[in-house]
Order: sequence, then structure tokens, then C-alpha cells
Amino acid sequence: MQHIVNIRNKTYWSKSLVFGSIIALSLSSCQKMYNLPEDKDFISENINYSSKEFYPILGRTNVMGSINLDNSTLPLKFEIINSRYGDGRPATDLFQVKPTYTWIDMYDGEEKSLEEIERKRVKVDRPLLEVDSAGRFILHYTATNDLIEPRPTDSTTLTQDVRFFDLKITNSGGVRYVNDFVFIPWRQRDYEPNNDINPYTGGIAPDPLSPRDPNRRDYIIPTYMENIVGEVSNIPLVNNTLKKDVVVYIRRFEPGPGNKLRFVFLDKNQNPIDPAKFNETRWENLVHGFNMTKTAEYVQYDVAYPIPLTNYPTFYTDNGNAKAQFSYSRIGFGGTRSTSIFRLNFRIFQEGNWEIVFHFRNENPRFADEQ
Amino acid sequence: MENQIKSIIIFLVLSLYSWDLCAQNTSIKGKVVDSKNVGLSGVSVSTATPYRQLTATDDNGNFTVSVPANATLLFKSVGFDDVRFTVKAGQTNINITLTSSDSDIGEVVVRGYATRSKQLNTGSSTIITRDEVQDVPVGLEQLLQGKVPGMNIQVNTGAPGFRGTTQIRGLSSIAVSGSGDQSFLQPTSPLYVIDGVPLDADRASEFGFEQQGPGVSPLSMIPQEDIESIEILKDAQATALYGSLAAYGVIIITTKRGKSEVPRVRYTHNSFIQTPPKLRETLGGNLERWMKIQQIINNAEFESQIDQISQIPHLADSLNAYFNNSTDWQNLYYRTTYNQSHNLNIDGGNEKLAYKANIGYLNQQGIIRNTGFERYSANLRMDYNPDRKFKFVGQVFAQLGKQNKGDGLGILQSGVANGGESSTLLPPPSFYSSSTSYLSSINTRNDNNVRLIKPFIEASYEVLTGLRVSTTLSYEFVSSTEDTFTPAAANNQFSQVYSFSGRETQLYSRNAINYSKSFNDKHNIFFNFFNEIRDVTRLNTITRQARTPNDQFEGPLGFDGYSSRGGGISGFADEKSLSFAFGGSYDYMKRYVLDLSYRMDGSSRNGFENLYTTNPAIGMRWNAHNETWAEDLSWLSLASLRMSWGVNVMPNSTLDRIYGRYVLNGSYNNLIGIGIDYDLIPNPNLKPTTSSQYNLGLDFSFLNNRIDIVYDTYYKEVTNLLFDAFLNNTTGFNKLQSNDAAITNFGHELAVTVRPLRPTSNLKWTISVNGAYNKDILTQLPSHYSGQFVRFDPDNNGQHNIFRVGTSTLSNYLLINKGVYANDSDVPVDPNTGLRYRMANGEFFQAGDPIWEDRNGDYILDDRDYMRTGNSQPLFTGGAYTNLMYKQWGLTINASYTAVRTILNNALARRLNLMNNPLGQGGDNKVYVPLDDVNVWLKPGDQATYPYPYDYSRSGRVSPFRYDQTLWAEDGSYFKINSLILSYNFDKDVVRRFGLQQFRMYVSTENVITFSKYSGPNPEAVTSMGRDLSSGYPVPRTYNLGFNIEF
Repeated sequence: MQHIVNIRNKTYWSKSLVFGSIIALSLSSCQKMYNLPEDKDFISENINYSSKEFYPILGRTNVMGSINLDNSTLPLKFEIINSRYGDGRPATDLFQVKPTYTWIDMYDGEEKSLEEIERKRVKVDRPLLEVDSAGRFILHYTATNDLIEPRPTDSTTLTQDVRFFDLKITNSGGVRYVNDFVFIPWRQRDYEPNNDINPYTGGIAPDPLSPRDPNRRDYIIPTYMENIVGEVSNIPLVNNTLKKDVVVYIRRFEPGPGNKLRFVFLDKNQNPIDPAKFNETRWENLVHGFNMTKTAEYVQYDVAYPIPLTNYPTFYTDNGNAKAQFSYSRIGFGGTRSTSIFRLNFRIFQEGNWEIVFHFRNENPRFADEQ
Repeated sequence: MENQIKSIIIFLVLSLYSWDLCAQNTSIKGKVVDSKNVGLSGVSVSTATPYRQLTATDDNGNFTVSVPANATLLFKSVGFDDVRFTVKAGQTNINITLTSSDSDIGEVVVRGYATRSKQLNTGSSTIITRDEVQDVPVGLEQLLQGKVPGMNIQVNTGAPGFRGTTQIRGLSSIAVSGSGDQSFLQPTSPLYVIDGVPLDADRASEFGFEQQGPGVSPLSMIPQEDIESIEILKDAQATALYGSLAAYGVIIITTKRGKSEVPRVRYTHNSFIQTPPKLRETLGGNLERWMKIQQIINNAEFESQIDQISQIPHLADSLNAYFNNSTDWQNLYYRTTYNQSHNLNIDGGNEKLAYKANIGYLNQQGIIRNTGFERYSANLRMDYNPDRKFKFVGQVFAQLGKQNKGDGLGILQSGVANGGESSTLLPPPSFYSSSTSYLSSINTRNDNNVRLIKPFIEASYEVLTGLRVSTTLSYEFVSSTEDTFTPAAANNQFSQVYSFSGRETQLYSRNAINYSKSFNDKHNIFFNFFNEIRDVTRLNTITRQARTPNDQFEGPLGFDGYSSRGGGISGFADEKSLSFAFGGSYDYMKRYVLDLSYRMDGSSRNGFENLYTTNPAIGMRWNAHNETWAEDLSWLSLASLRMSWGVNVMPNSTLDRIYGRYVLNGSYNNLIGIGIDYDLIPNPNLKPTTSSQYNLGLDFSFLNNRIDIVYDTYYKEVTNLLFDAFLNNTTGFNKLQSNDAAITNFGHELAVTVRPLRPTSNLKWTISVNGAYNKDILTQLPSHYSGQFVRFDPDNNGQHNIFRVGTSTLSNYLLINKGVYANDSDVPVDPNTGLRYRMANGEFFQAGDPIWEDRNGDYILDDRDYMRTGNSQPLFTGGAYTNLMYKQWGLTINASYTAVRTILNNALARRLNLMNNPLGQGGDNKVYVPLDDVNVWLKPGDQATYPYPYDYSRSGRVSPFRYDQTLWAEDGSYFKINSLILSYNFDKDVVRRFGLQQFRMYVSTENVITFSKYSGPNPEAVTSMGRDLSSGYPVPRTYNLGFNIEF
């Protein structure tokens, strides 16, 4: 080295410091300095629902609404706001909080006792109507006629009777509103099939063939019937629009809460038929019930409501409905064994002591063997 | 007296050994000093004619050399003017004084085709010398990888003659085309300027993977032995003078010049072996059969599936000779190849007339059979400078590239990928039986030729002192042909023909006026004014004919409306462009530098609305080391601060973007109808893409250049990017190519070079490390997208991309995978419905299924559960280089790295998906691969990464290995030893006895080893979208033995 540097020299250090500070300055350039757009969630202006009018049936769990998120960033926060009647009155009845069954484990139809089923669900306080994180509206089964006034029995839908609400959707990208959802509930129909209920009044449904005849009514019929022959006529019993030989009543045999389900069979004189006559029926596996009691008048189970408990396909269900199949056999002509079957696919939404009655209205079924 | 005896002995010894043509050598001692008479260390001493480095001075400036009498010695040192000294007969001791040169860094840079001192350069650039790109016979881009901070090169294909991807300073395009694995980003390669003539390197790959025509990379056509230096321009100040073509950076390649008074003949030979990477493991023969049967029985859902075994001959009939094989299909497609290259360089001449001829040959067989690349090249150049005023250069490039792509598309080899997955039970190809895909890969005759000839002349004259006018003319003619003949056996019993013919010409002319002047030795000015004229024509035509008569008759073929698969004109260009550029530079005592430049580009492609695009730039530099107060900072050799800003404007227009397109749209009444193409609405208002860039740079050099540091930070804004805006269907058209997208790149680049040992040491050691951080942010999209656009992959099971303003530009839009359900009870239950989390088709998840995050919480997995994730572009890239020289030995190691990048391991996805059809027959009869190395779920309770692969019954309903999930997303960071070179330079005195000037041997390997946590085969062999393309061309490893001989 040509020069001897005196490192105690002040200017030497101050000059060296200049370079250090230049480097520090240039390294400090960062993203914020450039004022670039922030990384925030996307919330589309096109968020919308395929339909904003909801006509749920009270007393059962309804999941409503199909949202088009247009790829908005999840999670989104949904909030029902500005719930009102058409004339501006606030509509707060929708948000009453009731203890509601929620599942904590999956019901799979393999449970061996009611307690085992009950361990899989707990009651939690939930509002009657809520919106979940996916933007679906959930009207719980706890929303009954008493809590939410259904549409008027005279079948009018006047604006002042209709509930409206808006939805506020938020994420870090901003806020969007979807306005003017329409909510017009049907009154409770606690079971399916329920073509015997007038959906407007909750009363008895008229006969579709002569709707104005107050003496005639509509009946539920079994889902399937095969080879049931009349005791006297010896011709198959039929159900069609003109003639209904076997009809079904789904009704409470005791008012109030309960967890019983009873199957009753009535002959043409409304007298009970001994269930034992349906000799091929698998009574143990008829429904997912327990503590079967079988009398000469009925067969009764302890069950968990609703029936079926979930949509999960189990041994006891058929396409989302409970499946109750009855059959009996006898010796037919020429000594062959003739098997007869009838079946009802049904659902019951509310707790209670229910009975399902099969009424052979016009002619009793033939149980006797042929000679 | 003693000295005399010594001299006599030396004389006698030398006379004994010097029996060749060379003159007798004399030992010369000397000392090199600066103007203050202080000894200078590290000054290089070489012979001028022929140019050969001899030694360097020690700490005190002393040196000893042995040269023939009357030899001219050349003394060079950074920061000093070169000195030539002719040794007189009998002279043994010389003293040399070097005077401080104008440029502290002796290097020069090229700006706007004019040479400038690097000290006055305000832009950001890196120079690679010829020594750094030698001794490894692979493509040029492969050699540049990891050497330039901010230039991200990914060698993602091993296809001979093709090239990987090159990006300078991040992303400049967001145009994504293709689908599935084969999605690719519109390539944005830098502009290559080869010996003063610009070359558009993307022209061969403008169709991405589906290249039409030969697809030979223009860079593959330049032999590395002919390269003198490569300069990479990174910021807009440096590139603005190159105009619109330079929006993605500029790479200036200078080939060698003649500079030896005694003609030199230099021959370089490489013999190299290329080996395929490790191939996929498979289970062969009877084992495959039993594993498949076991899988079928253990996972059957229905009895009918087990019964099916008896209906599948290759499973049931083990005694059938046809199915009783264990064929290694991959081995039939892949091979180890033996290749060679030859290069002959002849140069000579003096300062008045110098000439050079470089003739090269390269033959590279592909590691996939029936592929390869052959190159013949010649580059002839003559420099004539009769006096200081007049200069004339004449040069001719002639290149011929022959390529064979087999039945693939070069980069893509789908046929091979499918064929390699065939069941091992199938018989190997033989005379009487063979698989179609094998025949197609091996017997398809593919003949590609690229022929290029480019004459170039340049003349300049110094009218007044400092005022020089020059003119340049070059005409490039490229003819590309591709002929593919697929024999009948390889194509369902009908032969077929594909024929491509392309012709491209570029007429290029440049006229320039330069003026430089110095006032009082303090104020220096330099002006450079030039214009450029380019006339580019291109015409590509294609003929495709299926069902040709037979294998013997290949043509000429008539037209058959039924069997014609179309063709016609596939590429057309007729572009005329005229540019004017002005650059001005001022400096005060080399301390403060100001650069201004302005360029106008007019092109017939621009459309009439804005015929001229403008590219302004400004740059400033402060050379602190030239300040008087810095003189006593002895540790500081160089300290500069650079600042620049510039704009590059790149037109987007093409004929069909502006005017729309007419297409054949069916026939009516036996007449072919021609109608409007309703896909794309014409957009006459298309604006050019504008890239503006700020750069701040720092150059430091400490301790006599033993530590060099170059730091740059930049901010690059690319606006008016092309982006497809989908239109409302009431417009009648599908989409509009709008201009409303923008991205911003910013980052830091650092390069450090250290020479830790003293220049006089026998051991010379250079370590160089560089790194770049680049972050890209999408800043704008067409307004009606309000900040986000999802590009749903057209492929049914594809991997989607999401563009969201404010985030990294190329993110994936995937399902989030969080592992595997160990037990059934781990699947969450919807509290409202009591149902388990399930697929949209109702299939409930169970143990062994992947855990996909239910983003919206509805307990149903559907396309609403996608999430923006990952970034396919790397954040960090860089490399390292070290060179050790000890006496005659040399060792060079090159390495490169890429870090923080998401890649999708589609190769593994494909491999696991092979398991989902053990019942497959015919084309679905696939290999059985061992999965021991993959952490898959096997029994309840297993904590696994990958779902249960063997349940073929449910796999159709659950698709556990679907591609659009983050299960495949992995960190693509890697550190790769690119090359390792060991060389030995034989002692000059020894080789001289055999009439040689130099003999140097070297062994090298390329693609030595890659360190990565990535579970797939190669984290680099992924597409620009970060997808591991299992049907890609694997990158081989090269082992090379080579030598240089100089006569």
C-alpha cells in the first residue's frame, strides 16, 4: 500500500460514514414506499342469489338460498339486516332464540339406543332464522306457527303481511349488500306425505276431484302396494284417483311432546286389525326405534324425532324418507305361497306421540289361505 | 560475471530445446510502476502477437517472463492505459511506467451501438467474459444461468436445440395460454443484439409449447467458442436506446475479432456423454400382475369387480405368452448418448487489417430416442482500419441447424410420456408386434432445418476530430422447414404427413453520427444520433394431410377435402419500422455524469393512431472515488452512485387484433363460407405496452479491486398489458383484447466478487456470489373485473390461476389440502343437517380421503372452496461462481439457485393416479408403480400426507388425486451445481516442441447435482407457470472431455 492511513483521523471516519449511510438509505426502499395497491380480499359486485324469494314450510329445517359468490374471497361475513314487513314495521319474530338440536357427531343408523342417538346431538340456542358462513339461510324446525305468523289463510299475499330483509356481506375487501329478500312462509305441515292437509288453512284438504264438496276429502295413500286382495271380492285392492281402498292417517295419538311412534291398522269398520296378521313384517327393523311393544291393536316404538333424523342413507330410509314396509303371506291358489306387500315412505318433523294408521276403507285384506 | 554465466547456461538450455519455428526465448525481468514511481501489483503481462497471458506482477511490481526476442509485451491493469513494449535483442531488464487511464474500470460497455467507458455508464448492466462460457458444450442460456443478478434463467427443458425461459427483472407478461399441465406464459425473452444486429429470440416460440415449425432457438445456433463477451442490460436507461424490442431487457453478444499479428489457429473439441435422469421405478412382470389382482380384491366395492379379473387376459391368463413379459418401456424411449462438437477458429491481422473465421459443428443426440440436434455454423469477419479515420467491417454468419423432434413437439413429449407408462406385461416392440405409441415415437420421421445467412457490413469515417459518421447494413435470411412423416403402423394404419415451410427476412440498416469533445479536460460531452430501418417479412405455411396412400409414397400429395387437416398460412409478417434515437452524455471530470436519451420507434404494426412510440431515458452517476477528498481513502478503489429512469414502449398490435379475422365457417350450398370470427372483436385503439423503470445502483470496489460489490434496486412498472376482457354476449363477440392490465416489479440485486488471495500468489482464487430479489404485484385489471379475474383452466380437472390486484401476479386458485383423514370420525359433521362433509356429488368423505378445507363452511366440497394460494414466480434467484487457478491447473464451479417459489408436482399426481384403474385394458393398461417412498394412508389411524391410492372404486367419485389442490404445491427452491470444470494447461515450452502454441485439456460435467426439498424429479424442469410437466423433456446430465489446441 502506497499510503499509510491514520485510522484515528476524524475525516477518514466521517468520509467512511458517508458511504455507509448511502448504502443504508438505498436498502431501505420498501414496498410501502411505492404506494402499490394493497393485498386485500376480493368482494365481487356481482354477488347475488339465484332467487331472493323464500317460501319455506314452518316447523321443519329449511336450508334456503343459492348464492353466486363470483369467486369472492372467503371467508365472508353474512349478516341479516333491516328485517321488516312491507309496510315498514320491523319483523323481529324471525330471530327469536330457541334451543335447537345441532349435530355434534354423525347419525348413521347404527345406534343401539335412544341415548346413543341423543349423545350425538345437543340443544343449542339458535335464532329461528339465521344465515351461515356459506350464505345459506337456515330456518330451523323450531320456527312454528306460534312463533312466526304464516301467510294468511285466505291465500292473499299483501305487502304488509310479507317480511323483507337485506343481507350485508363483508370481508376485508369491502361491503356488499343484497337487498329485499322476500320471506313468505307456509304454515306447518308436520309430516310428509301431507296431501291431506290444506296448505293455506292447515285444515283437511279437499278431494282434488271435487274440491268444493265439503263432504269429501283427500287421503294419503301407501307409497307401494302389491298383491293385496279383498277379503270378499278376491280382487286386488287399488288406489287411484277414483278409488282409494287403503288410505293412511298420520296423526298424534296424544297431544304434547313425546317420543313414541305407533303403527295401527284399521279394517273397513274402523276396528283395529291385529298387527300379527302381517306375519312377514320385520317388526324389529321397521323403523329406527327401540322398546317395541306389540299389542293386538298396534305396534309401538320409542323413537327420536324428526324421522328420519338426517338425510344420511341408512337401513331404514329410502331416498331421504323413512321406509316402513309391511307384508304378509298366505297360501294362494294351487298351494303356492302368495306374499303381499304395502309400504309407506314418510317423514315426521315435530316431536310427539305419533301414530300412522293404515285404513282398509272399502274392504278388508284377505289373510286366509286358499283352500 | 555470475550473471554472464547464468545467461550462457540459459542460452545453452534454450537452444537445446528451441528447435521449432519459434524464436529463442529470453528471460526478462522488470518492474512496473505508476506515475509516482510506486510498484504496481497484479499488472497482467502478456505477449501481444499472438495474444497470450504470461504472468502478473508481484506486490512490488516485479515480474519475470520468458519470451522470444523482439516479442511485443502488453501490460494491462485496471485503471491504467495499456502499454506495449517491444523487447530488443539482448535486453533482459525493463522498466514500465503505467499512466492512470481515463477509465478506472477498464471495461467498456455498449450503449445504443456506441462503445462507452463503463465508468460513465449510468444504467445497470453486467458483463460476462468469454472465459465464463467455455468448456461446457451446452446451450448459451444454460451457461448464463446464475451469473447475472436479476436475470432468471430456468433450464426447464432438455430438448436439444431448444431453450429454457429467460426473464430479466421479473414478470413482463400475464398472458397465459394453453390448458392443464401445458399452460404457459407468453414468453418475454430479452432482445439479443449479436454483433450490432438485433435478433428477436421469441420468434421461434411464439406459440408456446405448440411450436409450429422447427422451433430451433436462435441462441442454439451460436457456438460458444465464438463468443468474446456478453453484456446484459437490465434497466431502462440502458435499454431505452434499443427501443420497443428491448422492453424485456437486452443481451449484447459480441463475437471474437481477429487480433493476432501471427495467424492463430485454435481448435476446440468436446466429446460428451449425456445421461437421462433417474427414471420412474416400476414393478415389472408377474409382480405387476399380482399387485393389480391384490389391489382389485382388497378394494372391490362390488363382487362384479372381482369377477372382472377373469375377463381381463393380462391378469387372468398368466400363461399366455403375449402377456407374459416384463418390459422396461422407459428404457426403450430413453438412452444415454455420445456426442461431439468441433470448433475451428482462425484469426490474424494487425491494427490495419484483421480477420477471423470461426467454423463449428455440434452433434447432440437427444436422451429421448429419435430426437437430436445438429448444427453447422460459420462466422467470418474482417476489420479494416487503414487509418484512424476510416473503419470498415464485413461479416457473414451462416448457420444450419437440423433438428429431430420425434413425434413430440420438442419441449413436450406426450407420446413418450404415455408410452413409458404402458404395462410391463405387454410384449416389447418386435418385428411382428408393437405398440402404436412406441412406433410413433421411434419411427416418425421428423426433419427440421433452419438455414440462416446474415451478411453484415459497417463503415465509419471520422469527419472531424471527435465527429464520426457510420453506416451499417445487414440482411438476414432464414429458411425453416419441417417435414414429419408418420408411418401407417404408428397411426392407426394410415400414414400421415405434416409439412411446414417458413421464410423470414430482415433487412436492417443503421446510420449514426457520434461526436465527443472535451473542454479544458473538465467538461466532456458525447452525442450519439442514429436511425434504424428494419424491414421484416415472414411467411409460414403448413400442409397437413392425413390418410396418405402408403408408407412408400410421401408426396407430392394432392388435396383431399376429407383427409386434409387444414394448414395454409400460419404466420405472416410484413413489418417496416423506422426509428430515430438520440443519446447525449455530459460529465464533469468523470465525477458527475448525466445521460439523456430519446428514441422514437415507428412501425407499420403500430396502427395509424399512434405510429411512433417514444422511449425517453435519463441517467445520472456520481463517481465519488474521483473526488479529491476521496483520494486518501486508500481502501476505496471505486465508489459510484447511479440513478436512472427510462421508458420502453412495446407495440401490441397485430393485424388480427386491430382488424379482426375472417375464418372458414362451414359450407352452404356446396360453397365454403367465409365469415367473421366472432371470438375476438377488433380493437383499433390497442395501446402499446409501456414499461417504465427506475434504477438506483451502487458500485464499490475495495482494496485494489479485490472486493467488488454491485448493488441495484429497481422499480419497474409495466402498464397497458394485454388482457382478454370477456364481453357480454349481447355484443355478439366473445372477447376484447384490452390494454387495461398492469404489473409492477421491484427488487434488489447484489453481486459480490472477492479475490481473497494476493495477486502475486501462485494460487489465484475468485469467488463471486450474486442474488436477486424480485417481487411482482398486479396493479391493474380491466375495470369491469373490479380487481380480480379467475382464469379457469379449460381442462376439466385443471389448475386455475387467479389474478388479483395487489397480490403476486401469477397465483394458483386451488383447493387447500390439509392432510388425510386418519379415521372416519375425523370428518366434520354439519351441525344443521347432521351429515358428514361430502363431495358435491354426495359421496361422504371417510378415512383415507384428503382433507380439503371447506372454505365456505357448507360441508360440501365444490368449486366455491377454491382459494388463492402460492406464487409460481420465484422471489429469489442467483448464483455463485468460483475459480481456482494453481499453476497449470484450473478448477471452476458454477452454481445457481432459485428460492421461494410454488411449484405443482403434477408428476407425482400423475404417478399416483396410475393406481386408480387396475382393471384398465388396452390404452388404460398402465404400469404398477411402487409407492414406498410416498407417505400414503394405508389403514385407519395413519397420519399421512397423501390419501389412500388403491381404492379404485371410490376414486372416480372422490378424485383424491385431483390436480387442482395444494397437495401438489411444494416449495420449488433449489440449489444447483451447474457445472464443474477441471482443466490443465500444458507447459508452453513442452507443447511448443510439438509445434503448438497451447494445449489445454479439460473435463467438465454439467447439471451436476441439485439440492432441493422438492419431492419430484427436478424442481427446475417445470413450466413458467410452475407446473412439473411429467410429459416434458427431461434435462440430461452431461459429462464432457475436451481440449483446445492452438497452432
